[in-house]
Amino acid sequence: MHKKLSKQNDYRNYKGIMIEPQIRDFFIGRIWTRNNTPFPKEKIEKYINSNHLSIRSAITVIQSPNLFKQKFFKCNRCHNENQEEFIQFECARCNELCVYCRHCINMGRMSRCTDLIVWSGPVPNFKHHHELAWEGKFTKAQEQASNELIASINLKRNHLIHAVCGAGKTEILFPAVHFALNKGLRVCVATPRTDVVLELFPRFQKVFPNTILHAYYGGSPKQPGFAQLVIATTHQLFRFEKAFDVVIVDEADAFPYTSDQALQKAVYKVRKNEAPIAFVTATPSLKILSQVKQENWGHSFIPRRYHGYPLPVPRFVSLWSYDKKINKGKLPPKLISWMKTRLEQKAPFLIFFPTIQLMELATPLFQEIDPKIISVHAEDPNRKEKVVKLRNEEIPGLLTTTILERGITIKNVQVAVVGAESKIFTSSALIQISGRVGRNVQFPDGEIVFFHHGITMEMDVAREEILRLNKEGFEKVTV
Amino acid sequence: MKREVTNCLLCNAPLNEMITWKTLLTNAYPKMICQDCENKFELYPQTGDEEVIALYQYNEVMKDYLHLYKFMHDVVLAKVFRDHIHKSLTKKEAIIVPIPMHPVKLKERTFAHVDELLIAANINFEHFLDKITMETQGEKTREERITTPQIFKLKVSTDQVKDQDILLIDDIYTTGTTISHAKNLLLETGANSVTAFTLIRV
Ligand SMILES: [Zn+2]
Ligand SMILES: [Zn+2]
Ligand SMILES: [Zn+2]
Repeated sequence: MHKKLSKQNDYRNYKGIMIEPQIRDFFIGRIWTRNNTPFPKEKIEKYINSNHLSIRSAITVIQSPNLFKQKFFKCNRCHNENQEEFIQFECARCNELCVYCRHCINMGRMSRCTDLIVWSGPVPNFKHHHELAWEGKFTKAQEQASNELIASINLKRNHLIHAVCGAGKTEILFPAVHFALNKGLRVCVATPRTDVVLELFPRFQKVFPNTILHAYYGGSPKQPGFAQLVIATTHQLFRFEKAFDVVIVDEADAFPYTSDQALQKAVYKVRKNEAPIAFVTATPSLKILSQVKQENWGHSFIPRRYHGYPLPVPRFVSLWSYDKKINKGKLPPKLISWMKTRLEQKAPFLIFFPTIQLMELATPLFQEIDPKIISVHAEDPNRKEKVVKLRNEEIPGLLTTTILERGITIKNVQVAVVGAESKIFTSSALIQISGRVGRNVQFPDGEIVFFHHGITMEMDVAREEILRLNKEGFEKVTV
Repeated sequence: MKREVTNCLLCNAPLNEMITWKTLLTNAYPKMICQDCENKFELYPQTGDEEVIALYQYNEVMKDYLHLYKFMHDVVLAKVFRDHIHKSLTKKEAIIVPIPMHPVKLKERTFAHVDELLIAANINFEHFLDKITMETQGEKTREERITTPQIFKLKVSTDQVKDQDILLIDDIYTTGTTISHAKNLLLETGANSVTAFTLIRV
């Protein structure tokens, strides 16, 4: 028994109880609501009484020492400290002036009288033998990045992998994750998008056939056993604390991660002391690039796609007052002729729209030309099926909001952005959208056009960056 | 005038409310949601029915709103309709009586959602009733609803109700069973008149 306990555990006064592995495995590294666990209430209370689970209030109230005795709140689940998102109210449960956090409310409300529980009992050692079932071949740049990432994990320092869309960045992670698992470390791959979790999970499952891995996203099913490898949305990290020895954030430039302070903090709170974090992105923010320099992170840069061809460069085409025309029930002629060309070439196409409303107005107009054209948006329950239909050439084209800006690969896809000047199309969104084109080695080139009502700085930045990457890719790397 | 929130409580878009002379002079409450969100709520058509007055229709956004407020327990959303509720109730002469919750349910929810709507709108009210059943009316068949014995009992003395005009308040009017139970009890006790006001009507 003693041999199985990890050295980090100090021996507390545990009262002797038989630990049920499924309860221990569930709670290790988690921070959970006391009254809402998948186990019977009496059992949870028993573990609390024996000090295997410890309790913490969900909201910490800090009273400032000055005259005004101002109160500051902090949420212990999502680590939110934005005071505007704390709401005080007369609570009928604790019969006091209570407070709750709005930031993570869609995962169940946390108030001051909500108890959170964390595992404080012994933790078994994790498995050291994991199989890596992957026989793909790396380009030189991929191999170098992969080795650099392993070195950073070994040195316990943070790492940035800056890889262009289509560089094959998921594969780069496989050897590093394998290395960490074999050292008996617990690894988390987190990403802001549920779609990306759903895409990554089966790939990791295939590559790590004898590793227990879990996928966590809003509405994910209960999964048995202790997962040494976790694939999760960044939102789900709110439910973990000091859990992982290695954290990898994939698509670290995606919404809402970039605009949500609490999500960014969550990445840090789920790692064990000073555990390394790796960020993988095609469009690193200035903030991250300066952290790389100042904090001496590891840094890998892959400016070239795995197939060796340059990134397709977007064309800018004016489409004046497109929204007024669509509102009046007419498609702009340039857009019609762009689409007709794709139909003639029998090349699948994606057309991005800035809003659902505009897209829904435009959909029937496109359908007048080809009734098989359909549209998709974030809340569409059939969105996976619709992408599959495009991939299988059952439909000629798909209209979409920014939801499909990343994570999808369709052979020979041609892309147009309508209203590229809209606020929602940031330079990184536009780079991602452009990155959908030419990913397949048989069709390494393709059409990417930004239809606009005036060129924005974001559009310029996106184009400049793609040109710069292409230049770097051909000067620096020889495959 | 101090702004209470800087972002829309429903969609989180920044609120750039202009403080106009009109808002200053009429002393309207600061906005809690943006214009886009506000436009999605639909008013309930004024039917001339004086027995039951309702402000809004039960459309998709209202469904979402009620879910966040009542079931996700986002108490602050009580303030979303405060201006409209205030204007509708402030001049009423009847005694305002909110439909109560069962004490066990109240502890679970941690707040009385009807009371909170009134508090947010700065409307005085009195608790005349106690809820004596935990079941919700929506889960029953029509038959069951009609034959259900009284779901409320009187919380105050008969004198307080006798000859009074009473305005019952509820969040949503679906089948009318809840309101009619409360109404019958109050009329039997000797109230002069009992009408109803709900935020939503299906
Ligand atoms: Zn929170
Ligand atoms: Zn409380
Ligand atoms: Zn809004």
